[in-house]
Amino acid sequence: MALQGVEQTILRDPALFYWIVFPITIVMILTGILRHYATVLMNNPPKPAATLAESRERLGLIRGVNFRNNAYVLSPDSFEMRRKYLIDAYHEGAFLKDPENRGQPPANPMTDPAGMEAMMGMMKGNMMMMIPQTLIMSWINAFFSGFVILKLPFPLTIRFKSMLQSGVMTRDLDVRWVSSLSWYFLNLFGLQSVFGFILGSDNAANHMASQMAGMNPAAGMNPFQPGQDPDKMYQNEAENLAVMEHFCILDGIEERILQNYGGQ
Amino acid sequence: MAQSTLRYEHNSSNLITISRLSQQAPRILENYFSIGDTTPIVPFPNRENPGDYDILEQLAFSCLQSGDDRSALRCIDILASRFGSSNNKVTALRGLHEEATAEGRPELVKCLHEYEVILSDDPVNLPILKRRIALLRYLSRPVEAITGLIKLLDAVPTDAEAWCELADIYQSLGMCPQAIFSLEEALLIVPNAWNVHSRLGEVFYSCSSSSDAGNACHLLRRSIQYFCRSIELCGDYLRGLYGLFMATLLLLEKMSEESTMTAKFTTTGTLEALNTYARRRLEGIVARRSSDHSSWEHNQAELIAVKELLDRSDRPQ
Repeated sequence: MALQGVEQTILRDPALFYWIVFPITIVMILTGILRHYATVLMNNPPKPAATLAESRERLGLIRGVNFRNNAYVLSPDSFEMRRKYLIDAYHEGAFLKDPENRGQPPANPMTDPAGMEAMMGMMKGNMMMMIPQTLIMSWINAFFSGFVILKLPFPLTIRFKSMLQSGVMTRDLDVRWVSSLSWYFLNLFGLQSVFGFILGSDNAANHMASQMAGMNPAAGMNPFQPGQDPDKMYQNEAENLAVMEHFCILDGIEERILQNYGGQ
Repeated sequence: MAQSTLRYEHNSSNLITISRLSQQAPRILENYFSIGDTTPIVPFPNRENPGDYDILEQLAFSCLQSGDDRSALRCIDILASRFGSSNNKVTALRGLHEEATAEGRPELVKCLHEYEVILSDDPVNLPILKRRIALLRYLSRPVEAITGLIKLLDAVPTDAEAWCELADIYQSLGMCPQAIFSLEEALLIVPNAWNVHSRLGEVFYSCSSSSDAGNACHLLRRSIQYFCRSIELCGDYLRGLYGLFMATLLLLEKMSEESTMTAKFTTTGTLEALNTYARRRLEGIVARRSSDHSSWEHNQAELIAVKELLDRSDRPQ
């Protein structure tokens, strides 16, 4: 065990600081900027529908979802009418782009050019993250592994050891010492605000943002993933509509208004 | 400062804001949007603000509305230099500019043909599709406009704006059930839009005047419900309160004429309470907004209409 209360001192060459900390930081910032521009260049926005029938196929599903979510604005009879229409249309495949192809197995996304493009887009995004990270990590491992490069000016608990001293297998070293590999990780996760300052807030260097974007597709995009059978989604939606319960928000609204606002 | 002068005007549908905004057009164009001024320096790019182009589009509309066609054309040119002249919105703006500067019907018909040429190349050019429909409507060919809209809505059923436009055309032709259907579809897309609720109430109200007595009461009841909902969503919505006042007044009259209908619908007491509530709110709003003239400048027409309604309802008593 390290001696309690006694400050550890390690004699470091000050050149370590200039030849490791600065290069790592600068390389990280530069790759971030490069990644931003590469992503902007290679990014192709999701294609809008090319024909009216295609747009109809995409939005037909969104219409059903809208209806399911917002049906409370309708009176019971107009609700029933619409529900019946939508369920029938979904069952008959009225919104499909090419109704003849119903029941066929979905096209292989590898051969379907549109699906291929969407998959390529995803892959390009992932590659943009993976390749630079792998390269820099192996660069740091090859050149700077095992260096202890700086000392934090504040004390930390023992739990931070794995975060700050990866690559340095010394059990007794004070947690305040930071290894080169850890400095790389700190930069990787901590440069977000620097990129925000340099590139603007919606930059592509921020890989957190790119991960979040996958979870929340913007409205107006294609609701169908490549290789998904629209007909199946329609049948699902028809089932959802068939079992949904309806309430009308207009029931008793007069009394509600008087009760809530009448006293003012 | 740039921030304050380029603030996005939300209530730009009123004429005073439009004329004010468009008077500033030459200055804004001079100061903020001179073409090709700087080359971006990597890694500090010339940060373009996406909001600026919204403002530019808005400015083009305002200029066209206030007759400043030259500034409008400059706005459109800047947009075209940024987004390319084949961009959907840019072509629609150009079309709008041509329509605005067209003299007489033949030139408008020429615009219509141009739109059809564009559409034959690119059938999903939504802004042009909409321009074509608006132009057809202007040329008083509502049936073709309706056909176009139905075709558009068949492909894009999630466009609330188009559903409202369809409802408007239907209503102008006196086809109330169709108008109601279209507005309900719009509501399904924007369930919290108080103006659409109140619009639906208005359609029910005007529908009730052209149907038989029993049905009329039912329609008026629906109309009142929609007005109530619009007030529930936006407490100070003048149009909704106005409609509620009118509709409750009319229904009370009808119910006093035919006492047999009353049992089926809501009680007279509730209606009277709603009527007095709407009246009180309207009076309050008139008093408040009349004293604060400067901030409600653009709503003077509505305010005058409300005052007149209140005066009218006072007189017989």
